[in-house]
Amino acid sequence: MSLILLRGAAEQGFLYALVALGLYLSFRTLNIADMTTDGSFTLGAACCATFTLHGHPFLGVLVGALAGAGAGFVSAVLQTRLKIQPILAGIITMTALYSINLKAMGNRSNVPLLRVPTVYSIFESHLPGALRPWSKLLLTGLIAAAVAALLIGFLRTMLGLSIRATGDNRTMVSASSIDPVYTTTVGLCCANALIALSGALIAQYQLFSEITMGVGMVVIGLASLIIGEVFSDLLFKSPGVPARIVFAILGAVVYRVIIAAALSASVAASDLKLVSALIVAVSISAPAVVDLLHVRKLRKEADRHADA
Amino acid sequence: MLTLERVSKTFFPGTANAKRALDDLSLHLEAGEFVTVIGSNGAGKSTVLNAIAGTFLIDAGRILLDGEDVTFQKDYRRSRVIGRLFQDPLSGTAPSMTIEENLTLAYLRASGRKPLLGLSRSDRAALRDRVAALGLGLEDRMGTRVGLLSGGQRQALTLLMATLVTPKLLLLDEHTAALDPATAQTVLALTERIVEENRITCLMVTHNMQSSLRLGDRTIMMDAGRIVLDVSGAERSRMTVQDLLARFGSAVDNDRMLLGRS
Amino acid sequence: MKKLFAIALSLSMILALAACGGAPASSAAPASSGPASSVQPQEEPVRIGLLQLVEHPSLDEIREAFMAELEAAGYGDAVVDYQNGQADASLINSICQKFVGDGVDLIVAIATPAAQGAAAATTEIPIVFAAVTDPVGAGLVGADGKPDRNCTGTSDAIAVEEIFALAEKLTPGIQTYGFLYNLSEDNSVSVIADAKAVCEAQNIAFTEATVTNSGEVTTAAQSLLGKVDAIFCPIDNTVAYAMPNLAQIANEAKMPVYVAADSMVADGGLATVGVNYTQLGKQTADMAVEILNGADVKDVPVQVLDEYSTVVNEETAAALGIDPALYR
Repeated sequence: MSLILLRGAAEQGFLYALVALGLYLSFRTLNIADMTTDGSFTLGAACCATFTLHGHPFLGVLVGALAGAGAGFVSAVLQTRLKIQPILAGIITMTALYSINLKAMGNRSNVPLLRVPTVYSIFESHLPGALRPWSKLLLTGLIAAAVAALLIGFLRTMLGLSIRATGDNRTMVSASSIDPVYTTTVGLCCANALIALSGALIAQYQLFSEITMGVGMVVIGLASLIIGEVFSDLLFKSPGVPARIVFAILGAVVYRVIIAAALSASVAASDLKLVSALIVAVSISAPAVVDLLHVRKLRKEADRHADA
Repeated sequence: MLTLERVSKTFFPGTANAKRALDDLSLHLEAGEFVTVIGSNGAGKSTVLNAIAGTFLIDAGRILLDGEDVTFQKDYRRSRVIGRLFQDPLSGTAPSMTIEENLTLAYLRASGRKPLLGLSRSDRAALRDRVAALGLGLEDRMGTRVGLLSGGQRQALTLLMATLVTPKLLLLDEHTAALDPATAQTVLALTERIVEENRITCLMVTHNMQSSLRLGDRTIMMDAGRIVLDVSGAERSRMTVQDLLARFGSAVDNDRMLLGRS
Repeated sequence: MKKLFAIALSLSMILALAACGGAPASSAAPASSGPASSVQPQEEPVRIGLLQLVEHPSLDEIREAFMAELEAAGYGDAVVDYQNGQADASLINSICQKFVGDGVDLIVAIATPAAQGAAAATTEIPIVFAAVTDPVGAGLVGADGKPDRNCTGTSDAIAVEEIFALAEKLTPGIQTYGFLYNLSEDNSVSVIADAKAVCEAQNIAFTEATVTNSGEVTTAAQSLLGKVDAIFCPIDNTVAYAMPNLAQIANEAKMPVYVAADSMVADGGLATVGVNYTQLGKQTADMAVEILNGADVKDVPVQVLDEYSTVVNEETAAALGIDPALYR
């Protein structure tokens, strides 16, 4: 695999890792299967692209993230106050976002950013010549690290702990003077803000935003998250929040590296989805397989002792 | 401290399952009183606690807590000043969070800190000391996931969490019923100590008639949503389990209560 | 022990992935320096990265014609790495990065998102696009339509006026058109914009029924029956997939369906004045050859196909009762 391909995979991995982090917040911490993801990802991209097209790349990223928070808020209201089942609430918001995203892109399905400054081009211009080819990797890595640090810190504050408790033991929460409606809302807003941030940064990275960009994003995000969990379970006996977050980012990078490797090994692009499904299946089942082998070993030893 | 004025609650009104759980019930607790509540199944003991805590809204009457009318206040608002322990030892702590994190949460919310602040080093040391004071050896395991602890240990922690900052009212709903005798004894002793030390107003539901007469300074018996006995002082200290049985026959004709583990 | 094993496993996995593939790990490929043109010594075969957006009959036609013309022009020994983008933006990115990393001499991108992905991946390797309806709108060339960076290619602007003229000839008296297309396909949107302009100029009314996936085509078509005199579909992948179904509904209701791609006529549409995709592929190959032979991308102007051919589906015409003499 060429260095450029590997580097590109890492860059994309760091950016898509934000989706994995958003899903860590909604899926793992709050225990909500939030289907808004596909829609809020594209929403972030759409808003950012429109602002970037008019010469405001940094503002675009900020607006994209805030828009994602808005989408999360809508989903939260549907679930908590209108008592719609969480999965359905997410689907409703995601469906509505299709039209909203089109509007956000000025009623176009594709906004090209080939000729306007992006956060990447601006960052690159501030680097010395020798570092320039690595500018995107540096920037994406920095962003992923910053977001991870913020998230870890946030989950240690009272609000963060309340959100964790809401997903862990809801009975305890209202008996502890914490309003579960409030914590769920904040959690979903933050999760979708992260996902939209990812969409915004990806739009500037690939130099266009497209209405179908978000399709399947929740699957990719969950796969990255789970790959990260498998690795962190291998290395730590009981991984805490920081470990989980760092490994979620790693999982996203590994996922993209695997795709790049398959491409590089001339796997037909049409078979790539099969390859990635296999990889995810293998990594998730690894602990169970290890256990099975262990049990077999035990039985063999027991048989040996019985005969002896 | 706590006043219930003619409180009534019917579940499933208008259907075949309609149950008048609380029937024109009135109760008054002074600050610092420790009241035990007994009664057979369906008498309305847990319902009274739920009504005070705000798990549901009552049909009629008023609830006053420290002079404030909380009849329509939401449960999570009331629980700023009310501590609760449930029968299920697993329901008071968050299993995937560590002991330290659970306590941090309880402390931060009870002391009214700003939502985006964490805990300082001195606060953490103070928390550890409180855990050590329980006498269960948990202070050495502050980083353990709570889900790995036994029921008794979790219940003890829940008790500590509920009293980190002294609440106005402590509601205990058969909180040792699901524990083995030795652990139940430990938790009960802890309860007594903490309630006495901090002079917490406490309402404790128990199925154990002996405990109900031994603990606290006042005993209430409920039956069919009403209070049928309310004893304190000398009369109470003279009372025995036999007396209760003699007076109330069917109301306390219940194996669990009679054989109640101590 | 377990920890060591896990670390070793992860490291070896990543190293193995990096090592496999066999392509040289050099990053000094054309991406870093040199002009946009690349002259290859005659001994080494030319390497071309070919990215097609998605499986589609028209796009396949372009690709096949491109390959045939490439061979005819003497580059039969060129190593062509053909990749299908599956209409997946992140995959397109990775494929383009692969091309750049492999140091190809030329990238051929079929359809707009593929071209945009290539343009984002490199500003040095020449890119020849095919079947991009609006290169200016896509940002691939300058506002004046001339190549001002490393992209040039062929555009398949649709001759909407000719199609409407044909429609008037075959089924005269059309007062209202129904536009059936997928809003999220850029090509469709720009063609429909043209169609609306033509309608306004000719004082014809129009209405729309948009779809988001092929399954909605049936309902959309049924909603148009009785409201319009003719249906028009641009070069829309979504509608193309449902073409046989649409044709059946339209024929039963005796509603003519005019399309913008000859493949859709083959699937049951009535007629089109279409771009010949084989011709498009051939012209794209010619441009590519020009660049491979040394021309600078900026000197190879974008070619808009203007050779159209009228294609009519005789079965459909017969079903609608159209006089064969009109189109023979």
